[in-house]
Amino acid sequence: MILARVIGEVWATRRDPRLARAKLLVVRPHAIYEPAFATRHLVATDDVDAGVGDDVVICLGAPARASLGSDDTPVDAAVLGVVDRVELSAEAQTAPGAAPGIRRALGVPDGAGHARGEPASSARRGPSGEGSGTL
Amino acid sequence: MIRGTVIGQVWATRKARGLEGQTLLLVAARDADGRAIGRLVVASDTLDARAGDDVTVAFGSGARNVLRPGPDNRDLLCDAAIAAIVEGAG
Repeated sequence: MILARVIGEVWATRRDPRLARAKLLVVRPHAIYEPAFATRHLVATDDVDAGVGDDVVICLGAPARASLGSDDTPVDAAVLGVVDRVELSAEAQTAPGAAPGIRRALGVPDGAGHARGEPASSARRGPSGEGSGTL
Repeated sequence: MIRGTVIGQVWATRKARGLEGQTLLLVAARDADGRAIGRLVVASDTLDARAGDDVTVAFGSGARNVLRPGPDNRDLLCDAAIAAIVEGAG
């Protein structure tokens, strides 16, 4: 699975009939550890009512295909859950190059206080408002 | 399978059906020399792995077999699971 943030939604009237009920979200993977990833996105089906700004766990491949109830759906990515909180180990937070990338990806400002992109990130934590408080 | 290091945990209350109680860990993938390769994987955990543990992660149907063995596990929404906690490697 991968960690990703919901950045949008896709509407499509003409679609495969097996996708008739599916909600489609655009997500940007936080699939990084050291260097920041180039901008990349996925479209994933959503059965757990995630919204723009939520961090989500995305399941890929055959399990995602089966998530809509049958094995013959044209799907390869599905939202598995909406993230409430991410806990990082002390080592990951202090490792050179590692933690800043993850923190930036999750929209958590650095302790040092200097601005690093994503100015609106703290406001996009979703309805829970909890965010990644432990990071 | 790949090798990696557990670097944290993901908490998600709203999850797809059938995944209640499942632990999700963040694993930083490593190369043969132990260096992080820049990929982060979320993996299901049934072995009680902890932060800092060196683990192997199985993908695909192998991951579903970790959670529930057998051919009747296609309903599990899981593509990565911790298959082993590594104690030593030569």
